[in-house]
Amino acid sequence: MLKIQFDTFTLANGLTVILHPDRSSPLVAVDLWYHVGSKDESPGRTGFAHLFEHLMFMGSRNAPYPAFDAIMEAWGGHNNGTTSNDRTNYYEIGPRNLLETFLWLEADRLATLPDVITEEELEKQRKVVLNERRQSYENRPYGRAELAISEAMYPPDHPYHWPTIGSHADVEAATVADVRAFFDRFYRPSNASLVVAGDFEPAAGRALVERYFGWLPRRDPPVRAPRPPDPRLHADVEMTLTDRVQLPRLRLAWHAPALFAPDDADLDLAAHVLGGGKSSRLYRTLVFEQRIAQDVFAYQGSQILGSLFQAGATAKPGHDLDEIGAAVDAVLARFAAEGPTEAELERARNTHLADFYKGLDYLQTRADLLNHYQHLLGNPDGVGRDLARYDQATRESVRAAFGRALGGKRLALRTVPDPVAA
Amino acid sequence: MIATPDTMATAPVVGPLPTVIPPQATRFALENGLEVVLVPRQVAPIVSAALMIRSGAGIDSPEKAGLASLTAEMLDEGAGGRDALGIAEELERLGADLWLGSGRDGSQLSLQSPRETFAEALDIAADVLIRPRLGAGDWERVVSDRRTACAQRRDQPEAVVSVVSDRVLFGDDHPYGRPAEGLERTIDRLTLDDVRAFHTGHWRPNHAFLVVAGDFDETALRARLDSVFAAWRPAPVPASPTPPPWPTRPRLVIVDRPGAPQSVVRLVAPGTNRLSIDRSGLAMLNAILGGSFTSRLNFNLREKNGFTYGASSSFAFLHHPGSFAARAAVFAESTAPAVREMLAELAGLRERPATAEEHAKARATLLMRVAEGLSTTGGIAATFGEIGLYDLPLDEPLRFAAALERTTADDLRALAVRYVDPDAASIVIVGDRAAIEPGLRELGLPAAVIYDTDGERL
Repeated sequence: MLKIQFDTFTLANGLTVILHPDRSSPLVAVDLWYHVGSKDESPGRTGFAHLFEHLMFMGSRNAPYPAFDAIMEAWGGHNNGTTSNDRTNYYEIGPRNLLETFLWLEADRLATLPDVITEEELEKQRKVVLNERRQSYENRPYGRAELAISEAMYPPDHPYHWPTIGSHADVEAATVADVRAFFDRFYRPSNASLVVAGDFEPAAGRALVERYFGWLPRRDPPVRAPRPPDPRLHADVEMTLTDRVQLPRLRLAWHAPALFAPDDADLDLAAHVLGGGKSSRLYRTLVFEQRIAQDVFAYQGSQILGSLFQAGATAKPGHDLDEIGAAVDAVLARFAAEGPTEAELERARNTHLADFYKGLDYLQTRADLLNHYQHLLGNPDGVGRDLARYDQATRESVRAAFGRALGGKRLALRTVPDPVAA
Repeated sequence: MIATPDTMATAPVVGPLPTVIPPQATRFALENGLEVVLVPRQVAPIVSAALMIRSGAGIDSPEKAGLASLTAEMLDEGAGGRDALGIAEELERLGADLWLGSGRDGSQLSLQSPRETFAEALDIAADVLIRPRLGAGDWERVVSDRRTACAQRRDQPEAVVSVVSDRVLFGDDHPYGRPAEGLERTIDRLTLDDVRAFHTGHWRPNHAFLVVAGDFDETALRARLDSVFAAWRPAPVPASPTPPPWPTRPRLVIVDRPGAPQSVVRLVAPGTNRLSIDRSGLAMLNAILGGSFTSRLNFNLREKNGFTYGASSSFAFLHHPGSFAARAAVFAESTAPAVREMLAELAGLRERPATAEEHAKARATLLMRVAEGLSTTGGIAATFGEIGLYDLPLDEPLRFAAALERTTADDLRALAVRYVDPDAASIVIVGDRAAIEPGLRELGLPAAVIYDTDGERL
């Protein structure tokens, strides 16, 4: 069984540390996950976890703006951060001589960010984020559907109801006091895990982590809102949006079990059989044989508080979404009845495993994977457990999981060309 | 407020940059003339291959744009003993990804698979290369899907600005002036016979270069390559046309997108070719101007002014001279000030030459980009694939590193004068014409020339 070699330990202040040496290139990666995402926001303050991520680059006491980027880029390092519903990550990659600098920069912003943040910096990043919203959703084809789907699938008080990018009004309304409160609540060593990967000596790496993070005081992990009840749609929902697109697209969504819950991996495999590439059932039927669709998709969007299983297609010119809907339903109904063939299951399983191997090639992906398991399972040693879920799936388990998820009510979201703007 | 200990008060001392040591590459040729480079890497249990053909969209005639890329796309629509779905099924069973496509200067077959199945995946790749069916039924479907994909490009302002910028910069008669994927009207002119002729003429082992990187047994792999490619026969390849010189071009071009919340802005000007001795210096100049987060363009437009989520620039170093481009997607209401600042940053490269810090940053950034490129099997295949495509020496990464070391501040200043002239740039904007035109006029720019989303002047 494949393993990713690592050592793990916890600092007295609660920070989980994972070391993954790999001397094959003269590079290091530092990957720091905070166990906070847009699910930890409140209605009226949406988009805050992501806006906060931007502010983490606006300087700290000992590395005032723009030192964070300037110091590492001076030596050829680069960095970024990402925010999802469930977590926020920050990473740096660069030559091995930057390892100590990376750790110093991350520790300094974890220690001192709220002391230096100003209204002016908040205002600048607010503008950047609002541009990101326009670029990624408002001025991108089918972007409006992406924003609409979580809103339609989750009730207003469920933390997945609002998108990670947040609403325009909420991003506008964020204050420096919000920044300080959010930092105080979630940015604690005990609510984070740190992976150091690449070209370093383990003992020296450990000493550096202790030097820069060890002095930070211990604070208890944040108190979290109780896990909300599993969301359910009580009736099928039909929605139609207009967008600046040439072709109409149908998107179907069902609630599905959470990441790592029973059925999650089976639904991943089901999605592959239905929409994963040219030999998949939706592609074969709608694109290849009937030639009514330009593209098809199916995926299990796995998240901690619950997943969405989605499938759909984009109509070719001359075909409409009623025709597409009937064809997609027919494919899904047949799959629900018979499950995958042995050959389909083998292809889906092999593709999944091969994709996993391919991901291991890049240092930063390995670092991120160790943090992913730590975040999810409380232990970076998750490869075996993760892959076993796919190994154990059978034709019957995939069929049954699919039947359970798609037995519930669903959302049918149609995006149609805006007659004025298209 | 937390008291930080002395360890935090000053930035750690940074030691010298590590030396970039490219992986060991073995080069040889098969009996049919196919040049092969093998690069072992045993970190993940996978193998990546890139087979480069030295003909791409850059030899498509402007009225038949899309031919090279459709030829590539047709090759795995049935080959050897399998039909299109049969190939797809077998590749998935092997966990292998096969990708075919064309860029400006080359066409490519990429293959990535777990090490255990690479030999079998290679058999399919050889079928696809040597024995494609190129059947009429598959052609009809593929060409229809491509036609629709070209129509869908109108949905994406970033894609539209690329199509129009290339047309404006390279002109009506240059193959780089059309998108590699083609346009609806050029695709309508293509026939399956064109595809067959392109395949027969250009997909030849004597016109190709193969890189295999990853976790393989060299002896077994060499024997396998000999046998799977034995039936691939060399032949003289048609000569490539010589493209026309740079045309005169409009200063300001707008593609109207009424109600667009952002303007997608691109400044384009002539650049240079892949073999130019200026390449390493221009790469450094670009790193300073718009090739990293702390670059002048991004710092000004994003960090200082909040106009955009990101601004950048690049040179496309191609077989024939390519483009220089600066780009940003900005708030619609910030369009004119953003264009003003972009032009000012281009001028600034001459007026405020690179500082010592910028010079060092550019060198380190590019060196570490080489190192990171060589740190994955996919990156190794891409790096050596480019070496093969442009017929460069195998130690090109080291030569590039050495050229970076040699480049002086005076060199950068001279290159800025020669290549980054704000007055010579064409400004292409996809945005809400009515909303942005008055502000642009106030900048003193001439009246905008209006283009459609396919790059036709209206």
